Amino acid sequence: MNTALSFAPVVAERDVEVISRPSLSYWRDAWIRLKANRRALVSLYIVIALGVFTVFGPLFVPSASIQDLDQISSPPGADRSAFIVPPYVPWSGVTVNVRDAQGPLEAPGSMTLVGEATTQAVRMFWDPVPGAHGYRVYRNIAHPAPDDALGMPLADVLNPSRVSFEDRLDIKPGEYFYSVVPLDMNGVEAPVYTTLDVRAIRVITADEAVKRGLAESVADLAVGDEVKLKLHVLGTDYLGRDMLSRLMHGARVSLFIGIVAPFLFILVGILYGSAAGFVGGRVDQVLMRFADFVVALPFLLFMILFRILFKIEGGDSGIAPMLIAMVILSWPAAARLVRGQILQIREEGYISASRLLGAKTPYLVLRHMIPNTMGVILVTITFAVPSAIFTEAFLSFIGMGVAPPTPSWGSMCNEGLKTMLTHPHELIFPALFISITVLAFNLLGDGLRDALDARMRSQE
Amino acid sequence: MNAVTDRFAPVLLDVQDLEVEFDTYGGTVHAVRGVSFEVHAGKTLAIVGESGCGKSVTVQSIMGLIPSPPGRIVGGTAKLRGKEIIDGVTTDGEIVRGSQIGMIFQDPMTSLNPTMTIGDQIAETLQVHRGFSHSQALRLAVELLEMTRINEPSRRARQYPFEFSGGMLQRSMIAMAIACGPSILIADEPTTALDVTIQSQILDLLRDLQRENNMAIILITHDLGVVARMADEVAVMYAGEFLETGTADDIFYSSAHPYTVGLRAAMPTNRDESEQDLMPIDGSPPDLFAPPPGCAYFARCPHAMEACRNDPPPGFAVGSGHMTRCWLHHADCSRRIDDLHYAAAAPLEGRDA
Amino acid sequence: MIRYTVIRLIQGVITVWFIATATFFAMHAVPGDPLMNDKAISEEIRRNLEAQYGLDKPLPVQYVIYIGNMLKGDFGISFAQENRSVNDIIREHFPVSAILGILAITFAGLGGILFGALTARYRNKMPDIVIMFLVILGISVPSFVFAALGQFALVNLNAFFGTSILPVAGWGTLSHMIAPSLVLGLGTMAFLTRLMRSSMLEIVSSDYVRTARSKGLPTTRIFLRHELRNAILPVVTVLGPSIAAITTGGFVVELVFAIPGLGRYFVQAVQQLDYTVIMGTTVFYGAFLVFMVIVVDLLYGLIDPRVRLE
Repeated sequence: MNTALSFAPVVAERDVEVISRPSLSYWRDAWIRLKANRRALVSLYIVIALGVFTVFGPLFVPSASIQDLDQISSPPGADRSAFIVPPYVPWSGVTVNVRDAQGPLEAPGSMTLVGEATTQAVRMFWDPVPGAHGYRVYRNIAHPAPDDALGMPLADVLNPSRVSFEDRLDIKPGEYFYSVVPLDMNGVEAPVYTTLDVRAIRVITADEAVKRGLAESVADLAVGDEVKLKLHVLGTDYLGRDMLSRLMHGARVSLFIGIVAPFLFILVGILYGSAAGFVGGRVDQVLMRFADFVVALPFLLFMILFRILFKIEGGDSGIAPMLIAMVILSWPAAARLVRGQILQIREEGYISASRLLGAKTPYLVLRHMIPNTMGVILVTITFAVPSAIFTEAFLSFIGMGVAPPTPSWGSMCNEGLKTMLTHPHELIFPALFISITVLAFNLLGDGLRDALDARMRSQE
Repeated sequence: MNAVTDRFAPVLLDVQDLEVEFDTYGGTVHAVRGVSFEVHAGKTLAIVGESGCGKSVTVQSIMGLIPSPPGRIVGGTAKLRGKEIIDGVTTDGEIVRGSQIGMIFQDPMTSLNPTMTIGDQIAETLQVHRGFSHSQALRLAVELLEMTRINEPSRRARQYPFEFSGGMLQRSMIAMAIACGPSILIADEPTTALDVTIQSQILDLLRDLQRENNMAIILITHDLGVVARMADEVAVMYAGEFLETGTADDIFYSSAHPYTVGLRAAMPTNRDESEQDLMPIDGSPPDLFAPPPGCAYFARCPHAMEACRNDPPPGFAVGSGHMTRCWLHHADCSRRIDDLHYAAAAPLEGRDA
Repeated sequence: MIRYTVIRLIQGVITVWFIATATFFAMHAVPGDPLMNDKAISEEIRRNLEAQYGLDKPLPVQYVIYIGNMLKGDFGISFAQENRSVNDIIREHFPVSAILGILAITFAGLGGILFGALTARYRNKMPDIVIMFLVILGISVPSFVFAALGQFALVNLNAFFGTSILPVAGWGTLSHMIAPSLVLGLGTMAFLTRLMRSSMLEIVSSDYVRTARSKGLPTTRIFLRHELRNAILPVVTVLGPSIAAITTGGFVVELVFAIPGLGRYFVQAVQQLDYTVIMGTTVFYGAFLVFMVIVVDLLYGLIDPRVRLE
């Protein structure tokens, strides 16, 4: 065995009592724990980014109510090019001599496009149908073939010698299918039709281009030049309003309600709950019974009821009524929580200990009660934010929230729903913003709860 | 007070060099560091030590109750009647846990399923291990409750844990643990959560049941009073190691390790021959994230020597079946500490427990 | 238990009375005569209503009449739809909402328990990570987005397969019910999954599960008899609020999927300011929710002996 064993007593003073970890204040410790939680930290950054987006974003984008009628419901990244054309000149059309004929009407032999199909006008003519007393023109955005879906009737041409049509009705860049159906003497459609496939390009007159700010002066532009229409990063909605701009302005509404409402009702809850907790006895009983009843009110139904009660006057955005209704209905949960905390802390050993050492009530409240309820309250606020955002969105979605034209994420979803099948971006963007915000606040709340919960702390 | 240990009683459970670790945030905790012991039929082995020294982990790892991860058994064997057991099952597939070895826990209030009747919880063991029908098992459960001295057992069997007092819950736990007639009962701090009079009743009950069924008991406790009352053999555990093992008499009257001496000095007695104050042991056990290289007790030992700092002491036999891990018993060490018991004969150097 | 039930029922009745009173005063605080809105009502209905509800009488008298009518189970006549009583509207459309709600809550409950138990069992492994990611999505996405996306997906799915796999909107057959009730239950299911998971994790490491393991019970028996049953308890306690969430969530789903349920009628009535329908439906829904909470509490008592025998 080891020959160098020394049995000399250890003389040096040994540290038997070693404190291996430095002591940390409650909040410092909580912050360190929060920082260690990656999901919570990322959520915190998202929340900060949303704050910047909301506060500063609207300063850099145009007003949310400007309409760009050239680009309606255009998705992000849509083609923005337009070609300069001369101003519109009326078209005299095509007339032919008609032969009369008996028997069933046939479909027009062929259809011909005149000039180029543009968003200014689409002009066409077709071979006359012997015996026809007129023609009906249809337009569709899909090929009518499989089930004879001709689309929208545009016009009845009731002069049999006229075999042309000019379409100027709200033409968007893209493909159109025009169909012509001959009519008999009674104006009844024959069961036949001829279809013309047309691809309309976006055009703009030089004057218009200058007016829209797409070029300096008319002199710079020649017919056939290409100009780019205004850029809408996230596209436009069904009224041609810039989505990004609306999302930013909408964020102001949604986040304002989402953050201010919880703060207000938790404040009310703190006052009510601590009053009940401190006074105690019969008063406490009565106060809390009342809170129980308010809790029992069906929340969304009463939100709706209150919104009717605080009727929106003309020009009112409807934010204030929603805020008031939310506070009136939401405070009891916070009040219960605070009361429970106060009652519990009042009985804690460290309060008695502090009292025995001569602490006065203000000291107890400042030093023990508030710090020990702060964590719970903070966590409650963090979780109340997403639910307030949900409430706003829900109400706006069913048309009971903010009044148009004020944008909010919920009302944008409501509008987006109508065009969901053709232009999904109008629904997806606001829905995405709601979801990300709610997600961030939920994860942040989880992180805060873990970081602030003293019970969890003792497990390490 | 205890019968002299019958060293010829058959060895039921033989544990050798058990090592258990836990992976945690801060690193690996070496909770049990090479523990060996034997359990003899019908006898009580007490494992005594401070909180966190690894007592519970030792027995729970034998039963396969260590949550894994984070826990894992990294070394050693446990043999029941010569058959090795892993995770409460012998190598040839026999379920030992609950049938051959029963176990009761510290806090009876939380150790029973709150939504099952006491009777069902006892019967369940019998249904699983003995293949009894439910009604058969229930009848036996009532008998077991009676055996553990619960009044009106048939009515009580239909009740739920929350209708029981702490003492009665612990009796029910015992009934559950002995339902299949185990040869070993592990009692992990069975009386810590109970008040003193109940504590005494439970200990009496355990001893009576032990006598009636010739059952071995492994008793985990930090209470030397309980050890004195119950144990035939004692192992003093500290920082994941056994510092001293021997009969109860060895430990109490011939303590051979400074830690055991310290524990005894810290124990209140009702004898007034010594008017000494209780002597607390300064400091706290070492951090098991990084166990000390030498003797685990080095930092707190009043008789620490240079050798203790870096060289772990081997086991020294200081009597028949009495082992201690302390350099003070080395042949070359000339120091003699007053309260310490020394081997009469020359020590058997390097002998492992 | 009987005493407890009676007390809960009495409390419930008082709560419903409170809801009715709050509704009454809220509606009467609206400036102007509730009969005076831009919807033209025939002179006959107006006279009938005024006679029936005594709208010319002072408020306290009106209140007494209102409560009296309500006690008789008479919610009045719709302003917007002549000759249709609110009772008829509720009778006709509530069953639709109820079926939708029951399907949704069943789906949410079973799914929540199943997925929650699954994630707890495979904690920090692949199934847990995937399901919890979906759960966080489920909690963060508003119900109307689910509804819209669900419908969008259905349209595309039907177009892709060239046949109607499930109808996109409407009501009538079982196939009409599947998509909306899935969509409606999704958010609640996510919430319940999360709850079930944490509850399960707590119980897996509880003392009594350790005891069960020390008894040498097979894993499945421990899971079914010791873990699952106790882990479900917290899920049952939030079933009341979940029913409320699903009820109001139903408004949106009914709107989007064009389902003729009471929720859609309520939203419509609100948009048309159809006062009697609003009041009647609010009180009806309020009473329904209060009653459901009581039922859930009693159900909880059946599962948890600690409550039952108190």
